[in-house]
Formats: sequence, structure tokens, C-alpha cells
Amino acid sequence: MSRLQTEGLTLAYTETRAVVEALSLQIPDGAVTAIVGPNGCGKSTLLKALGRLIAPRSGAVLLDGKAIHRLPTREVARQLGLLPQSPEAPEAIVVEDLVHRGRYPHQSVFQPPSKEDREAVERALARTGLTALRDRPVDELSGGQRQRAWIAMALAQETPILLLDEPTTYLDLAHQQEVLELIRRLSREEGRTVVVVLHDVNHAAWVADHAVALCHGRVVAAGPPHEVFSPGVLQAVFGVPCDVLACPGFDCSLCLPRGRTLHYVPGDGAAPAQPAPALRAEGLTLGYGGHPVVVDLSVTFPAGKVSAIVGPNGCGKSTLLRALAGLLPPARGQLYLGDRPLHGWAPRARARQVGLLPQLNAAPPHMSVDEVVALGRYPYQRWYRQWTRADLQAMERAMEATGVLDLRWRPLASLSGGQRQRVWLAMALAQETPILLLDEPTSFLDMAHQVAVLDLVREMNRREGRTVIMVLHDLDQASQYADFVVAMKEGRLVAAGPPSEVIREDLVEEVFGVRSTIFSDPATGAPVVMLQALARGAG
Amino acid sequence: MTPTIQPAPETSTSPGLRPATGAPASPEAAPVTRAGRGPLLRWGALIGAGVLLTLVALASLRYGSISLSAADAWNALFHYNPDSYEQTVVRHLRLPRTLIGLGVGAALAVAGAAIQAVTRNPLAGPEILGVNSGAAFGVVAAVYFGQLVEPFQFVWFAFLGGLAAAALVSGVASAGPAGSSPVKLALAGVIVSSLLQSWLTGLLLLDQQTLDVVRFWMAGSLAGRSLEIYRAVLPFLAVGVAGLVALGPHLNVASLGEETARALGLKPHQIRWLVGGFSVLAVGAAVAVAGPIGFVGLAVPHIVRAVVGPDYRWVLPLSVLVGPLLLLSADLLGRVVARPAEIQVGIVTAITGAPVLIGLARRRKVVEL
Amino acid sequence: MSLVPAHDPELPGRPPLVLVRVGPFSFRANLRVVALVAGAAALLAALALWGLTLGDVRFSWSEIAQAIAGQGPPSATFIVRDLRLPRILAALLVGPMLAMAGAIFQGLVRNPLVAPDVIGINAGASAAAVLWIVTRKPPALVPVAAFLGAVAAAAAIYLLTWRGRIATGRLIVVGIGVNALLTAATTFLLVQARIQDAGRAVLWMTGSLYAADWADVRLLAAALAVLGPLGATLMPALRVLQLGDLGAAALGMRVERRRLALLLVGCALAAVAVSVAGPVGFVALMVPHAARLLAGPMTGGVFLFTGLLGGLLLLGADLVAQHGLPASLPVGVVTAALGAPYFLAVLYRSGAKG
Repeated sequence: MSRLQTEGLTLAYTETRAVVEALSLQIPDGAVTAIVGPNGCGKSTLLKALGRLIAPRSGAVLLDGKAIHRLPTREVARQLGLLPQSPEAPEAIVVEDLVHRGRYPHQSVFQPPSKEDREAVERALARTGLTALRDRPVDELSGGQRQRAWIAMALAQETPILLLDEPTTYLDLAHQQEVLELIRRLSREEGRTVVVVLHDVNHAAWVADHAVALCHGRVVAAGPPHEVFSPGVLQAVFGVPCDVLACPGFDCSLCLPRGRTLHYVPGDGAAPAQPAPALRAEGLTLGYGGHPVVVDLSVTFPAGKVSAIVGPNGCGKSTLLRALAGLLPPARGQLYLGDRPLHGWAPRARARQVGLLPQLNAAPPHMSVDEVVALGRYPYQRWYRQWTRADLQAMERAMEATGVLDLRWRPLASLSGGQRQRVWLAMALAQETPILLLDEPTSFLDMAHQVAVLDLVREMNRREGRTVIMVLHDLDQASQYADFVVAMKEGRLVAAGPPSEVIREDLVEEVFGVRSTIFSDPATGAPVVMLQALARGAG
Repeated sequence: MTPTIQPAPETSTSPGLRPATGAPASPEAAPVTRAGRGPLLRWGALIGAGVLLTLVALASLRYGSISLSAADAWNALFHYNPDSYEQTVVRHLRLPRTLIGLGVGAALAVAGAAIQAVTRNPLAGPEILGVNSGAAFGVVAAVYFGQLVEPFQFVWFAFLGGLAAAALVSGVASAGPAGSSPVKLALAGVIVSSLLQSWLTGLLLLDQQTLDVVRFWMAGSLAGRSLEIYRAVLPFLAVGVAGLVALGPHLNVASLGEETARALGLKPHQIRWLVGGFSVLAVGAAVAVAGPIGFVGLAVPHIVRAVVGPDYRWVLPLSVLVGPLLLLSADLLGRVVARPAEIQVGIVTAITGAPVLIGLARRRKVVEL
Repeated sequence: MSLVPAHDPELPGRPPLVLVRVGPFSFRANLRVVALVAGAAALLAALALWGLTLGDVRFSWSEIAQAIAGQGPPSATFIVRDLRLPRILAALLVGPMLAMAGAIFQGLVRNPLVAPDVIGINAGASAAAVLWIVTRKPPALVPVAAFLGAVAAAAAIYLLTWRGRIATGRLIVVGIGVNALLTAATTFLLVQARIQDAGRAVLWMTGSLYAADWADVRLLAAALAVLGPLGATLMPALRVLQLGDLGAAALGMRVERRRLALLLVGCALAAVAVSVAGPVGFVALMVPHAARLLAGPMTGGVFLFTGLLGGLLLLGADLVAQHGLPASLPVGVVTAALGAPYFLAVLYRSGAKG
């Protein structure tokens, strides 16, 4: 019998709808258990319940056979550590102080830190490789280091069981790898029980000894990863067809979701109604207040194609996109839209040529979908002509293409993350620009919605000949969906060209600082990246 | 189209597999650029603040509308001669206001630090619980309806008013189907304060007599407050301050955010209630004696955190010293600049504190509420 | 002119939208908002007429009509035309201006708790007016001083917030700081003042319509006639600004320019209203909130509705303050008494996320 388990656990935030229903689950001791599922499937809620942050409606979470909600808070905190998703550190706190706070359940009020406390903190720092950074303020660390500092805090709690909620989101390849390796070592070398909620099935397949696939608050499959991550289960859980590739020489497999535009080939679409001008950067240097973020970059984004910009966090890819939209004047060099410098355009005229969808979009939650999409027509409106037939038609076309026409009068707040992202896309489409710039359009989405958004982008490109330039986080998505890939590092261009030329082992190592093996996708021939650190050697 | 689904174990598609070569990238190359806030610095700050506070307290005895010799100040304390005019000034005017400044400054600063920690909002202060405006309204209502004229009688109404306002604010903030949140607390505080403020003005308008009686109390001052009042509320103040200082380790955890704190075994609502209760005791007592004094509770925690970092086991005790340091300095300034008249300390703290707040807002990269 | 129903498949929640075209003008109107505007306007007119009959001296409708036309007995003409009518008209004009200013500020900083009262514009007016009163300058010019004070405070807030751009979070904090500074200055003046002057100053600071005369009404009407439509045409820009600076710029908006225009209009509305009526609290804070709840997100039409609702609230509150209480109180006390419970109720129900 395992130490942590649930019995008929039902969790609900409202009276009417249960998020997790009658769930009975055994968490194997001393192993890594990964929980995966689409957004809203209840995986984070389940994790919180395991950490006793949420009280069950019925059923129970059992720790050593006792209902966790009857146990004293501190007692539980000495057995279970939980790290919420993207926690926020107090301003200016240094790493060591943060890690020290993990000792709280072991301390009494008037006692100075004991020898044990100090040793636990040292161990946690050493384990996460942060000993050298102990005096640095947390807000000055890189994303991966910050995540490790939080994990160190949870480690200092010295609990046999550790619960982590999406520890790899917001991180780039190298940092994801850092964190996943750490999780694995915690279980392998120290025998801790780790339960981790993960967004990416491939991460789960690699890190987990035991996988749980959750959908609508119910377990669809649980067991060893190679059984759980089968095409059938993935289709059932995420609602998207997947191929599972076995990689020779590695004992874990790669899952590749298959969108409906899988077999579109570059340039097989209709010719664009009006040929889009190409966006071209020449010796472009960009910066905020004198500090250069992009340095001497020259590249031409081919017209009528889908281009992807990839690179580690902070490499200047979002800044470049902002400049391509004409929102950031070049410090040096020039950007051309066709033959004209982009900066010579009047803002509204420019906004009829180039549309940008930022990564984080905010709107008052009570605005309806219709109202949000209507904002995309702003560049065409005048104070005396705020609304015309053409506006209406453009909006309806955009909503139809993105499949949000049915949601038209619903308030934004009532939509799911995937629906909301489609609404934002509809707004950008309603702008009717020949060139569309998208900043990480797939972040915050689960697999099915990611694929749906990328399919939509490709269809738009093929059908209407729009030029699409997007920043992407995921190399596999870039290689599957882009005709042209631009790889950046530290503000400089490393390579640009078709995916097969850019996504190469040497370039991935140069750009992301991780070693990888590149396979070719048998269905499309596109390169597929397998990180070597993630690949447990066969021997 | 149908995807080519390949069951994992059987198929071995043949992508080119190449063995790994090359050295692993080292993610950690950054050198340590910043010295830690070691215990040396923290003890140093504590001792430095103590020394400075002593100096300012002594200066507060010596300087004012008339400056006295150090000997007069010394004798007034230890060899009191009632016949000496100078020594009487020290003993009956300056000593009380210095002592009151010590207690009031400590109470406001510590409460400010604790409230900022639980609300995780650097702009929060004791005002946010509605204590100041509640106390002011209590006094005005008592003067208007009860025809009080003696400041000695104000104190309990100030206390009651502050307590009632704080109870209302925290009640509204924690009631309701959505439960309690720091944002709700801040909003409720703002609204209750402005409601009481306008009622208070209404009462003042109905009766100019009342306005005349309370307007000096309302400006917030250490002058002309009697030691008897202070003695009466001192136990509350002391309990409040001591309670808040003892909450340091809990506040450290509470400032990590609701979920993390709960995962570490803290009960955040319990801490919120304790902080609220102790703050009301300390601030209610302070306001009852000195009237509403703004900005000490807001500004001192920022100054202290800038020195010792966000570790509340240090922030709170240091606030106990820096709060009075600031308040007595402001009081001294108010006495000296407009000699022989003086400016109420509440006005001085707001006029000197507001630029600090604005500077803070300009320095930070992004201020999000 | 043509009215075309904006066609689309019937979906639940579809508002009754029509496309309105008049010559070069064309816009989309929500019939529900149109109905709300008409209803509020009718209610306002009725309330104003009823207000004319209230007071120590009772007049019949015909007497009032005669008095307005200047044909009745001189005493009635004086009471109706020179005392009651200006006061009611002032309430009708000040309320909308405060509410519209609130709507603009709340939209600009994307925070429903921000209003000219919170970020120091009213405090600027108060400080200047109190200075004017306690130094015993000619009382007729108090509104001018208040206006200049409000404008100076707004300019100070803008300049102190500016660091290459206006970050709205910073705007709030700077505003709170300026507010505290000016409030302290006001308190200082009150403490130093002679008690009669202090009393007059406190009266002014609560916000009242006691002294409204025809000159005030003409000033208010002129300001509202210019600023109201200007604000309404800026509403699309305000809506786009809800996307954040980056999103708005991507749609081809000159963000800083539009924001300055909105700030100018909002400040001018608040400054003129406050200069006449004093800093009446809660109208600017509460009315836009209620309007959005009833009519939906801010559009030109909802902006108009916000104004009418502001007029209703202020006129209603003034009538209550004048006639409904044992002692006549300034209108600001009544708006606060109405506003605070409303907000606490909203807060009680909400999760207070935004």
C-alpha cells in the first residue's frame, strides 16, 4: 500500500459542477508520478487536494491511511511539500532567505534557526546547484534558476513527498531540462515520492515512472508511461490524433500530435489576392533605453510563407516581433515593408498592413467576444465613421475562420483558455492585414488547442496567402508548421532557412546550449528534436 | 486524412540516431555579484538605529521653540528643579511628547510592516484597516453628541471608533461567497475610510464648536497630549507591538503567497486575524493619543526592507526603532522650521513622506496594484 | 438616414444592435442602451421639474411656469428663477461631468476604484480653494482658484508619472502620493486659519450646490457642451486601450497621444465641476460602475448614459440633502452615504479581482 492515495475523491468549487469526481488513485512510493491532461481537466485541482489546500466534497486523500484533512496542518507540512504554479517571491528576497522559509513547519516561534535547519538549507542549495547563488536576489535570477530556488525551498522542507505544479512552464529548453533532471534525481537518488503536474506529454514520458492521464476529472489511464502514452489514450484524453515514435537507442518515446493540415505542403495554396510585401530587416539593432536587445540583425521574411522565430528566453525574439510590427523604432539599421521603411508609415496605415497579436492579452472580462473582435477594426475607423458594413463583414469572416461565431455574444470571462486564444486570433484576423505577427500563440494552451491554433494559422496562410511570422517556444511545432525558421541567441541571428537546415544538432546546441538528437518525422520528414539529457540511454 | 498511428513498442522507425558528443553546457557561470545580508549588517542596522534614536530623542528634549542647554535637559530628567522654567518645559512639555513619539512611531511602523506583509501590497498601511478614519469619526461623533471638550475623554472614543471601523473593514473583506482576499481588504478599507471621512465632515459642518475642539487633534500631533492618556492606552499599544513583532516568522511565510504559505503549514486566515487584531490595538492606541498620523506606517517598512531585506524577523524589530526615529525627527522639524509656531507632525510626515512614495513609484520598474 | 439590423444568426445573448447611417456618419447602436438613455433622460427631466416645486414656499405648476417665463409675482420669480432653477441646473450639469470624468479615469487606468477623488485632482482643487478662502481673497473667485488647483495637480501627476511613457500603475501611486501631500497642505491651512474661515473652507470641501448661480450654470453648460461630445468620440480609443499599450499600438493607435487627450478631457471635466460644486465625493467613483453594470462596456452611448445617471444621482442627492433631512446638509455627505454601502455590497458579492 502506498503512503499517499485518494479514495473516491470528489472536488468542486461550485455546488453544481465537480472538477474531480470519485477518484481513487494510488501514488507509488519513491517514484515520480506525472499527471497530464488538457486544460481544465482538474489536474492542478487534484494536486492541491493532495497537498490539502482544497477540502474534498466527498471521499478523502489518505496519508498513511489517515484522512489528510483531519491531520494537523504542520504535521502534514512535514510529510508533504507542495510548490504551486509560478509562485511569486517577495521583492528583493535573496535565495538563501527564500530557502530558509521552507523550514517553517519544523520551527517553533521563538527559536533561532537550529543546526538542523541550516544543514537542511545547505543540502537543498547543494542539491539544486544554487550554493554559489545563495546571496543573489531571486528576482535577478534566470527563469530556470528561479524555479530551482523555489524547488530548493520545497526541498528544505525535507518532506518524503513532493508535489509540483507545472514546474517547467515559462522555461526554455535548457531550463526545462535542468528542472526535469533535478526531479528525476530527487526520486532516483533520495527515494522521494514526487507527484508532478505537467503540460507537455513528452516531458511526462521522460520524467515519470508512473503516469496518470486525466480528462474531465476522471482517470482515463494510469500506469507505466509507455502504456499510458499510447496513441489511443492520447486521442481519448486530448482529443487529438497523435503518433508515438519509438526512438531507437532510447527507452522513451516521442509523442507528435497530428493536426488536420499535416499534409499541406509549402506553397500549395491559392495565390494571394494581393501579393503581400515582404518584411526585411537590415543591420537592425533594437534596444530599450540604450541597452541593445537585438544586435545587427539582417533577415528577409519571405512573403506568403509561415515563418517561425525560435531561441531561448530573453534572446530578443519578442522584441524583434515588436519592431516588425513597427512599434519599436530601430536604434540602428532599418526595417522595410516592401520597399518603404516601416517607420515611415502612419500608424493606422501600418496597422492595415501588419497586425500583431501580443503574448499576453488583457481585456475587461465582461466584454463580449463581439466587442473584442470589433476592436480589430480600429485602424479602419474614424470618429464620424465608427462602424460600416465592411467592418461587420470582416468581423464575421474572422469569427467564422476561427470558429468563435457561436460564442459571439458570450462574455470573455466565460470562455476557456483555448476559446479565448481563438478570440484573440479572430481580433487579429479582423484587422485584415496581409502580414500577421503572433507572439507565442500556443502558450497557455493544451495540446489539442495548440494544434488547432497552428492548423488555423497554416490554413489562413495557404488559403489567403497571408504572411505569418510567429515566435514559437516549441522546436517541434516550429519544424512542423513553419516554412522558414529564424534562430536567435543573445540578440543575434544564428541561422535562418527552411526547418531542415536550421533545426540541426549543432545549431540546437549553439542556440539553446543543450545536446540533442534529431530524428526525421516519418510522416512529414520534418526534423524532430530529442534532447539527449532527456533520453535515458538504452544501456 | 487519417494519421499514421504507430504503436510505440513494435515499430522502430529509422531516423538517424547519432551518439552524443561534446561537453555539457554549464548553466551556472554567473559569479556572485552581491554580498548577502549577513547577520553583521542586520545587527549593525539594529544598533545604528538604536543609537540614532537615542540621539534624536535627546535632541527632541533640547530643541524646540526655545533651545535649551544640554545641562537643563539632563537636570530635568535626573535632578528636577520645579523652579527652573527651562526644566519645567522639558519635564512637562518635551518629555511627554518624546515618550509619546516613541510609542506612537513604533506602533504605526510595526503595524504598517505587518499589514504590508499579509496583504502582499507594498502600498498598504495601517490606514487600510480604517483605524485612522474610524478613530477620527469616533472622536467627532463623541464631541458632537456627547459635548465632550476634554482630550482625556476623546481617547476611548477614538479607540472604539478605530476598533469598529477595523472590524467593519475586515468583516466586509472576509465575508461574502468569494471569501477573503488582500485586494478586497484594501478596497474595503478605502471605501469605509472615505465614507467615515464624509460623515465626519458632515458633523463638523453642523457644529462649528465641534470643529474647533477637534481640528487640532485631527491634524495629528505629539504636542499637548497628556501623559495620563498615554499611560492609559500604553498597555494596549505594548501588547499590539509585542504581538506583531512575535509574528515575524509567520509573516515570512505568509508573504510567499496564499498557496505556498498553506503548503508550508501556515493558516493564512489565522495570521490575517492576528495581524488585524494586534494592529488595531497598537494603531488604535497610537491614534487615540496622537490623532491620525499618516505615512509613517507606509514609509518605514520600505526603508527598513531596503536595508535588511524582506525578512520579517528583522524588519519588525527594526521598524520598532526606525518608526519613532522618523516620527521624532518629523516632530523636531515641525518645531524648528516654523519657530516660534509649530507644524503638526502629521502634516510634516505627509509632506515629507509623499515625495518618498512618489520617488518609490518612479524607481520601481513596474508598479502593479 | 438608414437603420439596418446587424444581421447574424440568432444566438443567445445577442443585443439588439442596429447600424445607423446619416450622411458620412455611420455607427453601431445598441437599442437597449438607446432605451436606457431615453429612460434616464425622461426620469431626469421629471426629477428636475419635481425639484422646482420643493421648498419652504409651495408653488403650483402654473405658478412655476409663469415664474420661469418671468410673468408671475416678483417674489415667486426670484425664488424659482434665481434660487431653485440654477441650483437644479447646476446639479444636472455637475453630476454628468463628475461621472464622465470617473468613466474616463477608470478606463484609462483599468481600475474600477480610481476616480479624480483618489488620485489627487480634487485634493488640488481643495488645497487651492482653501488657500483662497483662508487668505480671504474675494470669494467670487474661489471657483477660479479651485480650477487652477485641479489643473496644477493633474499636471503634476502627469509630469511625475512620465518616464518615457505613462505607466498606469505608476499613475495611481503617484496620484495617491500627490493626494496625500495636498490633503496635508489643506489640513495645515485649516489648522492655521481663523475658525470662521476654517468653517467656510470645510463647507466648500464637502461639496455643495448652495451657492450655484446663473453664471455657474452658463460656465458648466459651456464646458459640458464641449467636453461631453469630445469624450464620447474618444470612447473607441478608450476601449482599444483596454488591450494594454502594446495591443493598442499594434492596432495603429498613437497611444501616448490618445492617453493625453483622454487625461485632458477627464481632468477638465473634473476641474470645472469641482470648481463650482466643490469636491463632491463618490459620484465619479460609483456612477460609471453602475452604468457599466446596467448597460455594458463603455461605448459612446454608455458614456452618455453614465452622464445622465450622474445627473440623476447628484440631483437626487441634492434634493435629499436639501429637503429630505432634518438639517440641510451639503450634497457630498449624501452621495457618500449612498455610495459607500453600494460599493461595500458590490465588494461583498465579488471576488474583487478587478
